[in-house]
Amino acid sequence: MSLKRDAQNFLTVIGSNKGIIYKVANSYCKDEENRKDLIQEIIIQLWLSFDKYDETYKLSTWMYRIALNVSISFYRKEHRRNEINQPLPDGILYLHEEHTGELNTEIDQLHQFIKELKEIDRAVILLYLEGNNQQEIAEILGLTMTNVSTKVSRIKQQLKEKFLTLKK
Amino acid sequence: MEDIEIINLWKSYDKKLEENLMLNKRNAEDITKMKVKSFLTSMTPLKVFTILIGILWIGFVDILMINLWSVASPFFLISAAILVLLNKLSIFIYLYQLILIHQVDISDPILATQEKLANLRSSTLWIARLLFLQLPVWTTFYLSETMFENGHIVFYIVQGILTFTFAYLAFWLFFNITYENRGKKWFRLIFNGKEWSPVMRSMELLSQIDEYRMENITANKNANL
Repeated sequence: MSLKRDAQNFLTVIGSNKGIIYKVANSYCKDEENRKDLIQEIIIQLWLSFDKYDETYKLSTWMYRIALNVSISFYRKEHRRNEINQPLPDGILYLHEEHTGELNTEIDQLHQFIKELKEIDRAVILLYLEGNNQQEIAEILGLTMTNVSTKVSRIKQQLKEKFLTLKK
Repeated sequence: MEDIEIINLWKSYDKKLEENLMLNKRNAEDITKMKVKSFLTSMTPLKVFTILIGILWIGFVDILMINLWSVASPFFLISAAILVLLNKLSIFIYLYQLILIHQVDISDPILATQEKLANLRSSTLWIARLLFLQLPVWTTFYLSETMFENGHIVFYIVQGILTFTFAYLAFWLFFNITYENRGKKWFRLIFNGKEWSPVMRSMELLSQIDEYRMENITANKNANL
């Protein structure tokens, strides 16, 4: 069934895939204010590309590609507010309540380790953790499946070593 | 920590997000009503403007050279010709950037898109190299044969030192402004403004992409064996 390319449908698509946008932006942007701007920029680019969405690909593939391309290219440590098209006063995506507890510490550590990876490696592991299979990761990144498999194992090893060092 | 533990950790984060992540529908709706341009097309007007100014400048120097061909000193003509040539090359780089902007599709696979974007940004470094290469002609265009015929020894020395220094500096910078030298003090001194940080980041990204491409080629070769 073909997707209607109107604003209402766009909002439904964003609503049901908001996790993708947030997780990608969070992996590439530490600072909260900058992340808010990055999320806005991703949604703007999604909206501008919405009528060109190629339905031969999964909707998530299209979203990951745009979110990752925008995040890798547009991450700035500072001055983002001046560069963004029309910054909105409030965020578009926000967390209802902050997580607490031991689990949160481990998640924070995992996030920290992911953020220490190089940009493309970060995209590979993010897509892997998100449960995408090798073919999907290869399609999103533009790599061969063999390369994806090698890269995933290598990055996973790096993460494991980081956790191991932390426990010592 | 084992694979499964990392995956489970991510899943628990995912679950928490699922429960807590809210969409501000009003703000999201505002985006669909905004008159915003794609970040790439918003780069186009400045590039087109620079190209137009560049063409006007080149045209002016070209006309000057044609009109003064028979009367101008060879120093002026050669200096102007070098200046025009380098500026024409810079304009070609701007045109190349416009083509890249036109070719980039943000919904294409990450590696291909990032490569185009990184090439787009890092080509700005070429413009800087060409600009520096123009340095010596600004020390020669005013010279004439009579200045040499009636010149004082001090003039020869000062002029010689000036032109040689500028030429040496220009060629040295032209050959040394490379990504490999990004860590050097002099490099950071020239390119320390925040406007240069995306260019530097793009070059770093290009080396990551190269690494992936090489591994892709190797993986393909191994698969075919």
